[in-house]
Amino acid sequence: MASSSADLVWEIVRNNNSFLVKRKASGGVQFSRDSLNLTNKNARKWAGFVNDKAIGVVPGDKEAVKVLSKKTSESNKPAKAITETVYSGGKSARKLVHLDYSLRIQKMFCVYGEQEMLMRLLYRTYVAVANQAAKSNYRADLREAAVARASAIRHSYKKPKASPEPKLRGSKAKKASE
Amino acid sequence: MASRPTVTIISKDGTPSGATHPIPAVFSSPIRPDIVQQVHTGMAKNKRQPYAVSEKAGHQTSAESWGTGRAVARIPRVSGGGTHRAGQAAFGNMCRSGRMFAPTKIWRKWHIKINQGQKRFATASALAASAVAPLLLARGHQISSVPEVPLVIDSAAFEGGAAAKTANAFAILSAVGASADVIKAKKSKKLRAGKGKMRGRRHRQRRGPLVIYDPEVDGTELVKGTRNLPGVETCPVYALNLLQLAPGGHLGRFIVWTSAAFKALDSIYGTTTTPSELKKDFLLPSNLVAQADLSRLINSSEIQSVLRAPKGTALSKRSGIQKNPLRNKQVMLRFNPYHSAFVKNELGQQKKEAGKPPKTPETFLSVLKED
Repeated sequence: MASSSADLVWEIVRNNNSFLVKRKASGGVQFSRDSLNLTNKNARKWAGFVNDKAIGVVPGDKEAVKVLSKKTSESNKPAKAITETVYSGGKSARKLVHLDYSLRIQKMFCVYGEQEMLMRLLYRTYVAVANQAAKSNYRADLREAAVARASAIRHSYKKPKASPEPKLRGSKAKKASE
Repeated sequence: MASRPTVTIISKDGTPSGATHPIPAVFSSPIRPDIVQQVHTGMAKNKRQPYAVSEKAGHQTSAESWGTGRAVARIPRVSGGGTHRAGQAAFGNMCRSGRMFAPTKIWRKWHIKINQGQKRFATASALAASAVAPLLLARGHQISSVPEVPLVIDSAAFEGGAAAKTANAFAILSAVGASADVIKAKKSKKLRAGKGKMRGRRHRQRRGPLVIYDPEVDGTELVKGTRNLPGVETCPVYALNLLQLAPGGHLGRFIVWTSAAFKALDSIYGTTTTPSELKKDFLLPSNLVAQADLSRLINSSEIQSVLRAPKGTALSKRSGIQKNPLRNKQVMLRFNPYHSAFVKNELGQQKKEAGKPPKTPETFLSVLKED
């Protein structure tokens, strides 16, 4: 509509909207539940549902990372407005390597070894996320936050290391050594 | 901020019917939350029923003050004897069984007169807001599967009482992607906290979509078809109500239009220059600011052409930043041109000449130990 600029919409919804989480703790900090918000802060820059162009990074199925972005041409068509891109999880990346999916990846696998290779495949996700945010005049200012969020989601999939066996001390240690 | 001359009319199976309609001028009226809130506050008060405590409450006793000299307060006291009530203080708001302070009266100012111009402005404003998808999201409507905002359904879907049954009405709503919002409203029904439970406000629940129809074309059967769908409200397009268009004074109600109702908006509201056919002396309000997109304003050639060029370069702007010469070689060389030779000859790594220090001369020691 002629009058519905993102600036106007933001002034209308900044103090009260369905995504807003207000708490009195920590000096009245304000957060947002919007999935198109990369930092979960209630601020003009991050308010994805308000801005014409916005990037969201959310966890997907099977340890994947899903990147949402808004189409400016479909701003009044909610069903078509959001495009999803799925970057598959680390496990399937390993499968990709073992299935000799492409010769290039196979060669890379021989050169770098498995661990390094996985890191590189992971890194590809971040490059892709960064490109999606910043390339073709989209939202270059969101690049860093988008990559950070993708990385945080990937990190959350990591299983925690098993804690080492407790060292026996005192009389128990003596008994064990006998 | 794409300009949008037409709206697709959706058939009852959720696909575009092929027909479109130019968007009525009312959807470009100014969105003014301040006016909508003020009018909503007034209108919400106009359905109240007067209440008051009984005129006699707290005064149904013949109490008289005992005056001074009895070593008790001069508040009126209940006369007589033979019961515990005798001698107790009465009437005052601080007394047990006394009247309340400033007893409520039925002639309180219950209703608020709102100027008609303001009411019409607020309605137009709320309608304009209902066509802005971010505002619907901000109100909490579930519109992720809605094909277009504003959502217009072909009136043929409601013809001949096709939506007279709740199942049929719900089928139409779910075909056009509005069922998520209905289900959300249905699931949200909760028991109210507090005394409101016993005062006719037992449950609280979210609002779903508002179906606006044209009674002359669509008939009124759809009212009965939707009345058992929780949260779904209906309204004839000729009697729009701000309390439904902006519940709680919050803009962005999710509205489902029938195509007949949508077309009727042109004649009901007119434009900013042609007066309304149905409302006397009414022109749609105009926007004070034609272009509200700030970045577009700032980057427009009109503004950019009168701005002076930025002073200085990117380098000079960073003059305030101090770099650590111990980490940054270029900065170190600026401070200390000798540094390159110092590093090249590894002067920093050279050790002192080895060998024992010279022995202390005997004469020095003898002088030192002299008594």
